Amino acid sequence: MSPRAEGSHSGLFYRYQDLAPQLVPLDYTNRPDVKVPYELISSMPELKDNPFRRRIAQVFSENGDGHLSLDNFLDMFSVMSEMAPGDLKACYAFRIYDFNGDEYICARDLGQTLRGLTRGELSADEVRLVCEKVLAEADRDHDGRLSLEDFQNMILRAPDFLSTFHIRI
Amino acid sequence: MNPSRAPRSCRSTRRSSGQRYPHQESLLLGNLDDSFDGDEVGDKSDPEQIFQNIQFQKELMANIRCRPWPLRQKLRALRRAKEAVLACEGRLTRTRGYQAAGAELWRKLVRLACNFVVIFIPWEMRIKKIESHFGSGVASYFIFLRWLFGINIVLTVMTGAFIVIPELIAGQPFGSTASKTIPREHAASAQDLDTIWSLGGYLQYSVLFYGYYGRERRIGKAGYRLPLAYFLVGMAVFAYSFIILLKKMAKNSRTSLATASSDSYTFCWRVFCAWDYLIGSPEAAESKAAAVINGIREAILEELEKKRSKNLAVTICLRVLANILVLLSLAGSIYLIYFVVDRSQRLEQSKRELSLWEKNEVSVVVSLVTMMAPSAFDLIAALEMYHPRTTLRFQLARVLVLYLGNLYSLIIALLDKVNSMSPVEAATRDNTSQWVGPTVLFATRPAPEEEKRPTPRPAMAVRINSTWALEEASIPTFTSPLPEANGTTSYNQFPQDPCWETYVGQEMLKLSIIDMLFTVASVLLIDFFRGLFVRYLSDYWCWDLENKFPEYGEFKIAENVLHLVYNQGMIWMGAFFSPCLPAVNVLKLVGLMYLRSWAVLTCNVPHQQVFRASRSNNFYLAMLLFMLFLCMLPTIFAIVRYKPSLNCGPFSGQEKMYDIVSETIETDFPRWFGSVTGYISSPVVVLPVMLLLLMLIYYLQSIARSLRLSNHQLKRQIQNARSEDKKKVAQMVEAQVQPQEDGSKGLAKDRGLVSQQCLVLSATPQSNGHVISRDSPSHRSRRAETAVSPTPQRPMAHSPSSALPSIATSWPEPDPTRYPPGQRASPGCLHKGRCCPPQTLKRPLEDVRWGPLFGDVQPVSPLPQPSLLGRRAQGPRCYFVGEGATYGRAAPVLWAGRDGDVVETHPENPRQPVPWAPCRPGCPCSTPDPPQAPGVHAGDRRGRHGSAPEAPRGVRRVPDREGLAGWRTGPGMVYRKLCPQPQAPRRQPRLEPALTESQSMSVAARGDLQTGSAGRYLQALHSQDWLPGARGQLGRGTAGPGRR
Repeated sequence: MSPRAEGSHSGLFYRYQDLAPQLVPLDYTNRPDVKVPYELISSMPELKDNPFRRRIAQVFSENGDGHLSLDNFLDMFSVMSEMAPGDLKACYAFRIYDFNGDEYICARDLGQTLRGLTRGELSADEVRLVCEKVLAEADRDHDGRLSLEDFQNMILRAPDFLSTFHIRI
Repeated sequence: MNPSRAPRSCRSTRRSSGQRYPHQESLLLGNLDDSFDGDEVGDKSDPEQIFQNIQFQKELMANIRCRPWPLRQKLRALRRAKEAVLACEGRLTRTRGYQAAGAELWRKLVRLACNFVVIFIPWEMRIKKIESHFGSGVASYFIFLRWLFGINIVLTVMTGAFIVIPELIAGQPFGSTASKTIPREHAASAQDLDTIWSLGGYLQYSVLFYGYYGRERRIGKAGYRLPLAYFLVGMAVFAYSFIILLKKMAKNSRTSLATASSDSYTFCWRVFCAWDYLIGSPEAAESKAAAVINGIREAILEELEKKRSKNLAVTICLRVLANILVLLSLAGSIYLIYFVVDRSQRLEQSKRELSLWEKNEVSVVVSLVTMMAPSAFDLIAALEMYHPRTTLRFQLARVLVLYLGNLYSLIIALLDKVNSMSPVEAATRDNTSQWVGPTVLFATRPAPEEEKRPTPRPAMAVRINSTWALEEASIPTFTSPLPEANGTTSYNQFPQDPCWETYVGQEMLKLSIIDMLFTVASVLLIDFFRGLFVRYLSDYWCWDLENKFPEYGEFKIAENVLHLVYNQGMIWMGAFFSPCLPAVNVLKLVGLMYLRSWAVLTCNVPHQQVFRASRSNNFYLAMLLFMLFLCMLPTIFAIVRYKPSLNCGPFSGQEKMYDIVSETIETDFPRWFGSVTGYISSPVVVLPVMLLLLMLIYYLQSIARSLRLSNHQLKRQIQNARSEDKKKVAQMVEAQVQPQEDGSKGLAKDRGLVSQQCLVLSATPQSNGHVISRDSPSHRSRRAETAVSPTPQRPMAHSPSSALPSIATSWPEPDPTRYPPGQRASPGCLHKGRCCPPQTLKRPLEDVRWGPLFGDVQPVSPLPQPSLLGRRAQGPRCYFVGEGATYGRAAPVLWAGRDGDVVETHPENPRQPVPWAPCRPGCPCSTPDPPQAPGVHAGDRRGRHGSAPEAPRGVRRVPDREGLAGWRTGPGMVYRKLCPQPQAPRRQPRLEPALTESQSMSVAARGDLQTGSAGRYLQALHSQDWLPGARGQLGRGTAGPGRR
């Protein structure tokens, strides 16, 4: 899984290195502790149009600040690759949409998701209605928020989740 | 890690364990550490254990991709596992080491091969690029196109290898026979561009078309049977297409099985699956966001105004109008095509030289209609004001009908022309019969043919005569060459009669080519030039070109896919008459691929309403299948109905095309084979086979139906169990908090929760009338289990005191943890003090729904009631389930025994104690009440509420004859009334699941063990929730829980 061992990852490594050539050394034998800041990560063409890019970076970063080390970077694209199994994808999608990180998607998380998705064009009433509807549909234990289980149950049935939750690099 | 293997294997493991990741993570790591250390310390001797450990580590390594851990953690775990494996593997035999190394090598090779193969997938990179710009919807069009390309490649290979190449190599060369020679009067213009363009001249007399193929039964030195091959390949094209399509559909439906569910997650999916993470360009992101907003707004509107009724009349009028318009335009297009074909035919007969337009007008008109009508439908659809999704569906359906109508009217017109051709031919035959011609054929022909078509013949003959007369009168084009041919005796001057198969093939090929041209033109005009115009003139224009009027062209996925389907339908329709059509189509598809992908990448924006069509969608395929079927019909019809042309093609001279098969069987196979096939094709065999197939279909259908039903039920059960679990936990907590106070208070509190009254009368029909202790080891264990299990319900027995000897109602047992058994003891007070008026005792009969006692009900010995097992084999028992009105019966009298067991007695016979259940010391329930405390719980709450009976319905009565015979009414009856099911809210229509399946299974198994010989129990079942699969036939009978 390390960049040196797998030839197929070397392309990814160079992408990473290209993001901050002055920061990231080409020689990784000593495992330097380098992180590329979020601003650079989010400028990647694969991510820059994604409304959830900040969340993606945060989820994959080690302490939630969005700065990615090489390992995190590889991790991110491995999860978002075509090969990754659905459960894993669902799990990370859950973390991405769980904005406050409390392991439940609550109404506020949903609101944030919606705002990101629609670029804030929905009115507050509409957002509230959608949140209610989403919770009514997927919340099976009626605790007013979506647990990972609820979420997986719902998302893995979606016909195009696997094909859309996928970043090609 | 092996990428191809990992997802498959990990899925199974993660399914089971991957639900709670934070805990699981630590747990797994801990597990890993433990096993690792344990291995280091422990057994150095046991190779089996080492092997198992290695297996474990390897599994971990294989699945490590599927864990939601950060990479660092994964690496650490992986390294550990690898070390462990290395360390252990050394201790095993050398062969195992070699095996492992070999497996590793093999995996690497496989992966290399996989990577290598990807290079050869055509247009993979192109499609991926499109996908990453426009999302997966647009890419699905190209994937579909590529798949069609693959099919056409196979079709091309089939026709090429078995028809075209043998004919080219071994067939008679060009010019050797009449059917392979350009007639003299056309020879001059045979190389003109417009002749070639309209597929005449040299092209007409080439391998492109049916007419060129020779009629020799065997060609070449090897004796290749070309006519037979032609026929078989023609059929194989259809067969292959069918098989490949159905296979693909089955595969798709298998993969989308999980997604096809009745649950509706419209909003969820609109929110969580809305964003296409593949999108990598700002424009696409923009339009996607707009589409998402639109989608959400639509959903909101739909939700808010589900019963919108404003301007209903206007809307309906508009819709009717729109449909009329659509129908009109459909009819118009069909008429137009028919008219054009007719006109071209007349022109052909009347004019000697046709202009380019006249030669191509049929296909041009068809293509024009094909191109224009969808836009017209689009406009019309705006009238209707449907929901966009509905609009899209209507649009697709209409366009599909239009395409089909086009193809059909074309082929019908063509075949009609064929009809009128063969009379001409017949007429020529009449002419030619006087002079010397290929008389072998003609001589045999006339008589049988006239006989064979008795009914249509007269009318046709009239028509023939008329047309013929007309023709002869006006322009003798047709007759003139014939005498000429008569005069020259040379073989080459065979009379050229029109070859209708070639004609149909020509038209199809022409249509295909012109369609391609129109596609190119439309892409250039509608997309490219418009895009250029909008892009470069928008700065100088007086309004915003990019956002207002012309905008950029949209890539309409659905319509483009339909166009592909139409195109493929054309190929299927014409492939028999023009064997090179698939090859042409391959070229066309390649061109289309490049053209479209170029257009999409340069000048298109994604469609606003993205048509949900992921790869697993069977929609396109269903349309394609539909098309295939409908396109096969005319071809088959033509093959079966029409006589092949006399002087051209591989089947010339035969009565029907398929005669070649029977002829081959007769002449080239041994005699017995012919007779066998004769038998097989006789109605004696065919009819039973048909019948058998029909029965098979019916059987499979019914199996599918029942599977669907059980699937549905299981799903509901899971859902129930899940929500029940949660509720149970919550209630358990609540119950602990709730003090054990006065029963009436508690009851009053709980009222809202009461769902069912459980009135159980356990009758003990011994002759001595004594109540038998129900206490037994099994019972104890059962109770203990109930306390733990999430759905601790137990069917109970109840018998009304009525003329009928004994009735037992089985009901879910109350949760013992919830209602301490001690509280139930309430001698006497039940009747008087609180609830049940005594006369209710007599009520049950009219409410209990009795079937005919011995008809409807059946003894069930193998699955005895678990709770009633114990040692009660002494006497026969019946447990019946009443339908509702069982409340208000005699209340049981229960008190807690000294030893903590609950004792229950019948009020009339209070001296027979029934130790009921052992109280578990740890439970909140277990504190036994002193006997003095009146057992409030036993009171009939239902009576107090006075509400409709909602005792469990759908329960099954199963009396046993013997048992009934042995029963008596008498003091030996104990009415035990159990407390209501506390959890479920009142009026909940369905029962709580009595037991989860595995539980009930185990209970049943235990029951079997314990009852042994006492097979005389009658069984009461919860019909629905209790093992729906295993006892579906029981549960369906009496009452479903849903009926009220």
